[in-house]
Amino acid sequence: MKASDTFSARESRNQGWRVCLGLAALLWGAAFAHGAEPSAQAIAPPPAPGPAAGLADSAGLRATVFGTSAQNLAPMPSTVPLVEINIALPWARPVPDVFWFDRKLRVWFSAQAKPAPLAIVISGTGSDGNTAKLSALRGALFGAGFHVLTMPSPTFPGFIVSASSTGVAGDLMQDGHDLYAAMQQLIARLPRKVRVTEIDVLGYSLGGANAAIVKSIDAAEGKLKIHRAVMIDPPVSLFASIGRLDKLFAINIGTGDDAIERLYRRLYAELANSYRASDRVQIDRDFLLAAAAAALKTDAEFSAAIALTFRLDLVNVFYAGDLYAGTGVVVDPKHPPRVGDSLEETQRILRLKPFAEYFTKVFAPYYLKQRPNATAASLIADNRLDIIGDTLRSDSDYYAQTNSDDVILNAQELAWLKDTLGSRLAVYDHGGHLGNIGERQQVSDMLRMLAGNWPGAAK
Amino acid sequence: MKPAVLLCLLSVAAGGCASQGVSIRSLPSQHPAADNAAAVERAAGFAAAAVQASGAAGETGQDSPQALPPVTPADAPSMHTYDPWERLNRFTYRFNARFDEAVFLRLSDAYRRVPAPIRSGVHNFFGNLSEIDSVINYALQWRLRSSARSLGRFVINTTFGIGGLFDAAAKLKLPGAPTGLSTTLARWGMHPGPYLVMPFLGPSTLRDGIGFLGDYGTSYGIDVAKLYRGNVSWGLGALNAVDQRSNINFRYYSTGSPFEYENVRFLYVRKRLIEDEGLRAKDSNKGASSTTQQENAAEEPAGK
Repeated sequence: MKASDTFSARESRNQGWRVCLGLAALLWGAAFAHGAEPSAQAIAPPPAPGPAAGLADSAGLRATVFGTSAQNLAPMPSTVPLVEINIALPWARPVPDVFWFDRKLRVWFSAQAKPAPLAIVISGTGSDGNTAKLSALRGALFGAGFHVLTMPSPTFPGFIVSASSTGVAGDLMQDGHDLYAAMQQLIARLPRKVRVTEIDVLGYSLGGANAAIVKSIDAAEGKLKIHRAVMIDPPVSLFASIGRLDKLFAINIGTGDDAIERLYRRLYAELANSYRASDRVQIDRDFLLAAAAAALKTDAEFSAAIALTFRLDLVNVFYAGDLYAGTGVVVDPKHPPRVGDSLEETQRILRLKPFAEYFTKVFAPYYLKQRPNATAASLIADNRLDIIGDTLRSDSDYYAQTNSDDVILNAQELAWLKDTLGSRLAVYDHGGHLGNIGERQQVSDMLRMLAGNWPGAAK
Repeated sequence: MKPAVLLCLLSVAAGGCASQGVSIRSLPSQHPAADNAAAVERAAGFAAAAVQASGAAGETGQDSPQALPPVTPADAPSMHTYDPWERLNRFTYRFNARFDEAVFLRLSDAYRRVPAPIRSGVHNFFGNLSEIDSVINYALQWRLRSSARSLGRFVINTTFGIGGLFDAAAKLKLPGAPTGLSTTLARWGMHPGPYLVMPFLGPSTLRDGIGFLGDYGTSYGIDVAKLYRGNVSWGLGALNAVDQRSNINFRYYSTGSPFEYENVRFLYVRKRLIEDEGLRAKDSNKGASSTTQQENAAEEPAGK
């Protein structure tokens, strides 16, 4: 693989930090090992059929990690105005001490000077509303004449604390309702001179599924009159996708504490040696990008990077869910931690825990209590995109883009998307998971979909 | 001067507390077209560097027989970070986050509206002042050539660079390579010590904290042009702080994570340890003395 292909990520306010965290994930290591525990669980974890890396081949894994190469980026406008909106939502619950900083929902908004359609873009799993990928989409959409509002994922801790009505993230319908309510508040409080002609919703990864659900909720409630929805690389079965990421972790990093320790030590040594060999004054973002490119060589290493980055996000969701649901896995419901308390040990324990455990110990117990008629199997089924399958099939205002080497899909799931959306699905040969956001073809197709200028669009 | 600065800080802080329901913070515009062009350029640069590195990789081993053996996984420090003052550190971290949100960030937002050439002049001016610390510390590290180079930079930038507003020396192929007391202490064999969150300044270690205070004390003691003890010292200090903050791309709790304290601590300490490794390697290379070019190209970390 050419080195020039690898450094594609765009400059953005948050990106250095994301890169650091990604590398932190690598350095850290985390463990999958929970196997020693006697599994007297009544609730079976969601199945994750298919290979752990989904449809991804070597190129798909690399595209997922490195993103769109700089040479293939779509043309962008020269200037995009940006404001950050912090909003306290009326239904927010008391904020736990450890989350004191997440009291308000934070979103980012770019306004056109004239009346224009509004594109609301929802971030991917665990991410806030100002990622590098959102910056790329913001630039493309603003350049095409949209007001752009970018929102965090309902699995981002800031959203869970400030905007979730349950605190237990990951349920497609529940998260959709929370997002929909937050959108209404936000739109009502946009700067006065902003004139919105119509509203479209988009999202990438989990955010794509969220966007479609929000549109379907709006179809019933009619408060925003959302016109079109575009899903970019959405999951089809959320829990199956995440389950495969857990498998990816177990296969490529291993199980047990020593596996983590080993990974951390290897990466530390690798970083130290490349720093010695470099002529850098300080460790900075460029060095980290270069070191990451040098450290990751094999498919297993790329897989490990993907699985770890995901696990780092899961740790936050798990912690918040356990705290709000009072399920007591790592947070004592009677004595929640306070600001001065160390969370190192809690974090260490959570790093060992896969999504399956979040499902069996936090998510399912909480929602089974809330919904007397539900079963573990029905909760899993409710997190498949086919809960709105009929709508997706019949309503020509839903669109999707995906890649035939996406990490989070298997062959059946891709076939389901093709069958359900028909010509309103664009499938690209390469890109892995989100590895072609901001790329020329992806952007121009997305804009055509939003303009209703795509095969299968309603006239 | 002092009351004016205080009043300004207080009014900004009060503004930060006033908003309850919705607050809108305008950010500098994004320039995606230019960013993309820069990304393309950087990618080309990386590609060139990678080719160069792969060419050089084969030679270094033979060229420097006395060079340190490579860092092995067994040399990696524990994943646990020594943090005996954790409770205090956590409170300081939270104080810093709040102060940053209420005061620092607002000032640096406002400051970013100042035209870029003026900001870069300010940045260069403070950079030039800190060159004095570099001259002294390189001497204390017995890196006399680097010390002389820093002195050269100081003289060139103070004269041709009009009091340090322009980095004229960099254009003469004398790029900056700041050092400080923390690096000197490291070279003398002092370990980083416990993790320390400094009020206003953020993540540090005991050694980096001592280094910071020592560097400031040196500047204060020398008091070039009465900038540190004269009437303008408060205003200049505030400007220096705002300049530094506006050049750091970090937002407290933008990760939203309850584990941010742990994450930042882990990253900061590992980063500094790896920079120490680089320092050690450079010393050893100097002994081998065949890779002087590398010595010229860059020096060790600036500490903060």
